Amino acid sequence: MSISIREAVWKAGRTLILDGVNIEVPQGQVLGLLGPNGSGKSSLLRLICRLRPLASGVIALDGRDIETFSRRELAQRLALVEQQAGTDAPMTVLDVARLGRTPHRGALAAWARHDEEAVESALRATDLWEKRRQTWRTLSGGERQRVQIARALAQEPTELLLDEPTNHLDIRHQLDLLGLLRRLPITSVVALHDLNLAAAFCDRLVVLRAGRVAAAGTVAEVLTPDLIATVFGVTAQIFYRADRPQIAFVT
Amino acid sequence: MSFRLSLAAALAAAAFATPALAESTVYPLTLENCGRSITFEKAPSRAVSIGQSNTEILLSLGLAEKVVGTAVWFSPVMKAFEAENAKIPRLADNDPSFESVVKQQPDLVTAQYEWHVGPNGSVGTRDQFADLKIPTYIAPADCVAKDNSGGGDGVRLKMFTMDLVYQQILDLAKIFDVNDRGEALVAKLKQREAAAIALASGAAGKNVTMAFWFSSPKIPGDSYIAGINGGAGYIMHVLGAKDIIDLKDEWPLVSWERVTAANPTVLVIAEMSRRRHPADSAEAKRAFLKTDPVAGQMDAVKHDRIITIDAQAMDPGIRTIEGIEQVAQGLKKFGLSY
Amino acid sequence: MNAPDLNTTDTSPVQSGRGRWAALAIAGLGVLVLVMAFAVSTGEIRVPFAVIAKTLGNKLFGAAYSLDPIQEGIIWNYRLSRTVVAACSGTALALSGAILQALLRNPLAEPYVLGISAGASTGAVAIVILGFGGGLLSLSGGAFIGALGAFGLVALLASGSGGGGDRVVLAGIAGSQLFNALTAYIVTTSANAEQARGVMFWLLGSLSGTNWADVGIAAPVALIGVLLCLLHARTLDAFAFGADAAASLGIAVTRVRVVLFALTAAMTAVMVSLVGSIGFVGLVVPHAMRLVVGPTHGRLLPASAVAGAVFMVLADLVSRIIVPQQVVPIGVVTALVGAPAFAVLLTRSRRTA
Repeated sequence: MSISIREAVWKAGRTLILDGVNIEVPQGQVLGLLGPNGSGKSSLLRLICRLRPLASGVIALDGRDIETFSRRELAQRLALVEQQAGTDAPMTVLDVARLGRTPHRGALAAWARHDEEAVESALRATDLWEKRRQTWRTLSGGERQRVQIARALAQEPTELLLDEPTNHLDIRHQLDLLGLLRRLPITSVVALHDLNLAAAFCDRLVVLRAGRVAAAGTVAEVLTPDLIATVFGVTAQIFYRADRPQIAFVT
Repeated sequence: MSFRLSLAAALAAAAFATPALAESTVYPLTLENCGRSITFEKAPSRAVSIGQSNTEILLSLGLAEKVVGTAVWFSPVMKAFEAENAKIPRLADNDPSFESVVKQQPDLVTAQYEWHVGPNGSVGTRDQFADLKIPTYIAPADCVAKDNSGGGDGVRLKMFTMDLVYQQILDLAKIFDVNDRGEALVAKLKQREAAAIALASGAAGKNVTMAFWFSSPKIPGDSYIAGINGGAGYIMHVLGAKDIIDLKDEWPLVSWERVTAANPTVLVIAEMSRRRHPADSAEAKRAFLKTDPVAGQMDAVKHDRIITIDAQAMDPGIRTIEGIEQVAQGLKKFGLSY
Repeated sequence: MNAPDLNTTDTSPVQSGRGRWAALAIAGLGVLVLVMAFAVSTGEIRVPFAVIAKTLGNKLFGAAYSLDPIQEGIIWNYRLSRTVVAACSGTALALSGAILQALLRNPLAEPYVLGISAGASTGAVAIVILGFGGGLLSLSGGAFIGALGAFGLVALLASGSGGGGDRVVLAGIAGSQLFNALTAYIVTTSANAEQARGVMFWLLGSLSGTNWADVGIAAPVALIGVLLCLLHARTLDAFAFGADAAASLGIAVTRVRVVLFALTAAMTAVMVSLVGSIGFVGLVVPHAMRLVVGPTHGRLLPASAVAGAVFMVLADLVSRIIVPQQVVPIGVVTALVGAPAFAVLLTRSRRTA
């Protein structure tokens, strides 16, 4: 298993956020993480990166407990794209993308050709190569999100975690990004709000509700009208097209 | 040189002139002092003296019994008055509080410096005391032709002369109705001044330059060197020596670059009992002069032409006479006078 | 995914940069040496340039020119040592500012604004005047503890805001007011005019009285600071999007924070104990350099180190000659440049917030 989460429990202060979550993500698959606001999606992603300590439970990468990794080793495998990230520094798109090479370079190592290639391919994949000299401040919300994704891709991770990466993107870039994730041979865990996008691009889905796994499985197994009604509180009709469900919401 | 000889002669003449029998003070007495009229119905009997020089003047006038509190002391009191002074309550070594002064129920408050009692007085303003019907007397030496508005020690626009101290003595003598003692004291001081000047006569002919070093906030570091118009300036003037700086500030902060480059003939350093700044003690000053690689190159240091005098003697006051005497003796010792 | 185009003609600056970097570094140091030479030859007392050259010949190369010992002494013992200490303190303060701005993600962060200089003053003064530590602690040791104390206070007051925003700056202003008041209280036991001037040293700084012994302390600290900073240049870049982002890039955030905050406190403490509290250097210099070389710390840190040294040497020169026969506290000069810069930065950050 690329990522394996067992009985993960996490509290923020006294509040229980995750209450015994179990998730398995096979290598190379795209896992969609769904759930209403406050269900613990962002917290889970941060826990996988070891940005917060688990209260109990084990998270493992390829069978190895993440606690046994050094921070640098972990960053060489895992890349995280957070919902909101901002900076005051007058950094260019290229500067930000280059940050992704940090885990792979020592303090004094010279900038290698491989580093440059990784950065360039990341920027081309996110359609930002032409804008690489623009400063952060001048970018739109969607462009900023794509730069962060480019930075994560430049890390050349084996596992990629994204927290609602499509929020600010226009439809074309939404589809581009998710299509990219499908094509890349890396394991991805993507927290999403848009059920149709999840249905179109994910291999497996996990639905979180109140800190527990409400449903897990293939897209078809998980996205049923009953579950959508129970977890999300909305009525939906499911249509199938080329094997993939499409959800129409009934208002 | 001729000016100084005539000054010495005039002072000598004044000293030997027989004083007429001094009059008694007529009360109520109104005096002008530092821009204010003060009135006395009778001679005060409970005076608080803020400022060592003031206190020593009152003691010199034999008024120890009329003083009920003193404050602001830079060094031990003049030897002659030790016993009497011990009986007078010392309100503070430094600035007393307004209340501690008023608690003594004074009928006169004398101040040596306007920064204690004055428009920006740390103890209080003259109005504050006047509101409580307490007249205040400020030493003329600190308000005549002196600009204290800038804070610090002030800028003296015209050179201080001992006449200002003599006026203070006579004023206080009048207030306390001891005019004969006042005139005798002034005569004695003038005699001493003349004698000291005569001792050092001719120093000007030798182009003597001097620097008076009071203290420094940091050692090594910039130092408080006397300006041309203060007590130290007066000493230099009457003895025919020249200050190495020509600032009118009382005690400007001067760099050692300037002092060493000026290479004064004689250095006069202050001794005091206060230990607030590292350079307060004469010993610390001497140690710096000997060990600093640049200051040690000055002629005055190499030939040990360093005179130590009490810090009081560098400031305008009754002890300036002592300063003149000690510096004159030093000049004679160094062979810088005839 | 497209294959990378290896035939791109657009080479990034970093790749051709090694040679250029070295050239810029040499140019920067050259400017510093020139400025220092200018500062040594200028001052209250006019010393002919020939004398200066001969002095350096005597002292550095063992030549045996006969010179007036006082002039030689002024150049070598007074002015040169003072200029070197000015350069070292400028470097240390500028680097401290750059570090704090990166770690706290606040463009207004620097040791003076955050009250660290004020805390160092209080610590030093407590050792010297109150005799805390009973002789076990040196002046610099006391300053270091004071600096850490100020850090702790500001961290406490600013906690919960995520380290960014105006709150850190407000906490710093509160802290510096508190510690400056404490320093003034300790130094002035009575309101004598002279005591007030003694406090000025701790509040506004002064390079008078510096000698070669001070260089022996300032130079190693500045050099160690430069080395440690350069080692952490990439790390500081990683903090651009916050501590979590840095952690996800593989930075050991807590360890880095401890090391760099301690370095900042140590550099500030040593410099404050030598030359008093001098403000705005850590604010003005990194920002100016960001405009010139960009925000990447691999370039920003060395540029700030050199520019800080130049800034301080020039500020000291101005403080010595601007008022004839007297010395203006150097903190006044840096504030005259720094306070307007602070105001500009404050309004700019308000607008983009």
